[in-house]
Amino acid sequence: MYGRPLHILRNSTFPISGVSLLKWGGLLVLLLFPILAWAQDAATQAMSVEYRDLPGIGSRNIIWIVAQQHLLLAGFVLGVPIFAWVCEIVGWKTKEQRYDKLAKEFTKLLTSAYATTALFGGILLFLLVGLYPKLMAYLTDIFFPSFIAYCLLFIAETATLYMYWYGWDAMQGNKKFLHIFLGFLLNLFAIGIMIVPNAWATFQASPVVVADGTAIERAWAAMQNPTWWPVNIHRLIANVVLGGFICGAYAGVRYLLAVTREEKEHYDWMGYVGNFIGVFGMLPLPFAGYWLMREIYQYNQQMGITLMGGFLAWLFILQAMLIGVLFLGANYYFWLGIAHRIPGSEGQYKKPIMAMLVVLLACLAVWMTPHSLVASLAEAQKMGGTHHPLLGVFGVMSAKMTVSNLMILVTFMSFIMYWRAGKVETAGWAKAAKALMGVLLAIAGIAVIVLGVWGYFVPAIIRINYFSVAQVLIVIFIMVTFTPLTALLMKSAKTTTEMVWGQMPVRAGYSLVLNAVMVILLMSLMGYARSSSRVHWHIYGVMRDTSDYAYSPALGYAAAFMSLNTFVFCLLAAFIFWVATLGDKAKNQPPAGGEEAKVPPLGSAAPAMAGGSPRQGELSS
Amino acid sequence: MSEVALLQLIGLIVVGLGISILLFIKSKFLRVIGFVVIVLGSFSLVALSVPQMASLPPAIESFDIASVESPDDLASLGQKIFFSKGQCALCHSIGPSESARCPDLAGIGAKLAPEFIYESLTDPQAYIYLDFRHDQLPEEYPAQMPYINKNPIALSKPEIYSVIAFLQKMSGEPISIKVEDIMSPQSEQEEETVAIHGTGDASSSVVVAQATTTGSQ
Repeated sequence: MYGRPLHILRNSTFPISGVSLLKWGGLLVLLLFPILAWAQDAATQAMSVEYRDLPGIGSRNIIWIVAQQHLLLAGFVLGVPIFAWVCEIVGWKTKEQRYDKLAKEFTKLLTSAYATTALFGGILLFLLVGLYPKLMAYLTDIFFPSFIAYCLLFIAETATLYMYWYGWDAMQGNKKFLHIFLGFLLNLFAIGIMIVPNAWATFQASPVVVADGTAIERAWAAMQNPTWWPVNIHRLIANVVLGGFICGAYAGVRYLLAVTREEKEHYDWMGYVGNFIGVFGMLPLPFAGYWLMREIYQYNQQMGITLMGGFLAWLFILQAMLIGVLFLGANYYFWLGIAHRIPGSEGQYKKPIMAMLVVLLACLAVWMTPHSLVASLAEAQKMGGTHHPLLGVFGVMSAKMTVSNLMILVTFMSFIMYWRAGKVETAGWAKAAKALMGVLLAIAGIAVIVLGVWGYFVPAIIRINYFSVAQVLIVIFIMVTFTPLTALLMKSAKTTTEMVWGQMPVRAGYSLVLNAVMVILLMSLMGYARSSSRVHWHIYGVMRDTSDYAYSPALGYAAAFMSLNTFVFCLLAAFIFWVATLGDKAKNQPPAGGEEAKVPPLGSAAPAMAGGSPRQGELSS
Repeated sequence: MSEVALLQLIGLIVVGLGISILLFIKSKFLRVIGFVVIVLGSFSLVALSVPQMASLPPAIESFDIASVESPDDLASLGQKIFFSKGQCALCHSIGPSESARCPDLAGIGAKLAPEFIYESLTDPQAYIYLDFRHDQLPEEYPAQMPYINKNPIALSKPEIYSVIAFLQKMSGEPISIKVEDIMSPQSEQEEETVAIHGTGDASSSVVVAQATTTGSQ
């Protein structure tokens, strides 16, 4: 029938001519008119719906849960490829197989989490379209070209991930470069996938006026809103931190569950690398956060005040607590490493560790001191206000910036200490270099404190624009000078104590889990802050939230929700990782002879910055 | 029982459950879950111990043109539109501001005639800026201002008049917009030339010239 000429149809015996077709058609329209009219009414009515609700749980709560799960999974999925790829390059360059195996293990976790991330993304989209149709129609009108770009990036990312994962073993040897190029593409598309939706979310917080123009011009103008790039940078770093600490927690749990010596050694090492990546990312994260906050203030001072001095002010005390625990947890893990992986070092570093602990706790106490104290009327009268006469000075930004910089310095020095433990420098200039580092560290510490104290006596704009920036630059200067200097010193250093893996106490595994939980809570908390800073606006100053959920809940309720979200995410991650490693279980079953048969002699480990014994390469992952 | 008290009770139960798991369960994985539960419960309890402040939305303001009775009402309505529906404050400030990305509008109602302000809002490309500061051909700076009477802002004519009334009042000028004009807006002829008041002294480096080649119009 497909090739049948038209005239045959015209001359067919079908009893409907052109005229009668019109008559029948007219009759049909008349008969169907009420239905068509009803359908049109229903369509008009549907178009005018602004919100829908889910009974029981509420539209906002379900969006909160699904969006948080999607965001955390996405953070992991976008953060892991960065360091998996770096690990692979390190393995390729150093010819150390263990790095390649580690990179592959990271990617295995990634592939299993990827589908779940997409699943939650799909659920989130359906829920948003269904529950917030007006907002989504508005955003679609502005951002539609970016939706297409996002879809294309997603397709490219998925295809690249498949090739990257399934081609791992096939692309070894002289094809390794191709595989590494795939890793590069994977990260490139991943960054694209991250920054496009960031534009939608940041437009909601800091919209710009979208003028006339083509659809692409309008979308591009809206994407380039003031907080887009600060959020992009902040999230990029935060994703690495999240990915690192979650991989660390995974290794921590596997370490606790490990039966054989090989497993213990491997997961001890993996936990160390995860923690190292997390800390490495965490050090510049406050600077990125500071930049974001500065842009928010510049964009709209009222929004900045809502965040830092309004109903969200106490949130930053909770943030300080979480960051403080995270810093303590990360340092504690380093210190445990010194004590248990490098036998004999514990006594040598006991005093510096104690001093660091005191500084960290003092800094945390200052950071957690609120500007306005919770006080009864009588207490407030005695104090002469809600500000404590002595502790009140610790409640302002000058003090917070100072202690956060000091905590970063201490954490960085913990890492340097761990790096140098068990070795003696042999270079002729080692003494001079160490003295120089000591002097620089002392000057940096004093300068950060002096600028912090001076900050009380200058206008806020001077402090924000110059003093705080100078404090940040001082700390960065220390990091970028100490790292290569220490690397040079260690290059010719003599190992006095071999590093031994798999000897960490049980609490090391728990500290890795604690760090991951802190990071997840932090991301949840700051997501709530970012969302609440828009107060009763879907799009700040442009589209008001007129639903029943236009209010921002109090911190206690929000924190309970964050805890629930964190718990759900932990269970979800545990399930995904369990599924991902099901296949390994059969391979890693201990032989009939029991684990003792496999226990190698202790002390066969070699020290290295990223740690590991020569045997690590032989371990199954 | 208040919501906070209820949540505190749940938090305590959760922490207790976690401690029980650590005390009585031997499974390592379940012990890790117990540890996580303790951490999350403790975090919730700390968050519930700080002052609980929710942010409630203010009452929705409606722009009822019919309620305008005097020029001051008009200016007051214009002020609300300026800071909300009109989105003017997203870019403009009134008075010096570090965050403003567009011209400061302080005193603008005294500097410019209402007809010119109206045209600037509804046809921002009608005039372009020429910069004579360099010893070269003058550079053109097309206006980035959106068409305020079109989507997505889409202010109505009375709303735009209200904003102009606000700008005049804020500049200390008598409000020249009449309430009757708002109630029954007449179709106005677009003027070919607009008087420009107080754009600066003769030595000012930036002048305003009528655009002749703005193809986007």
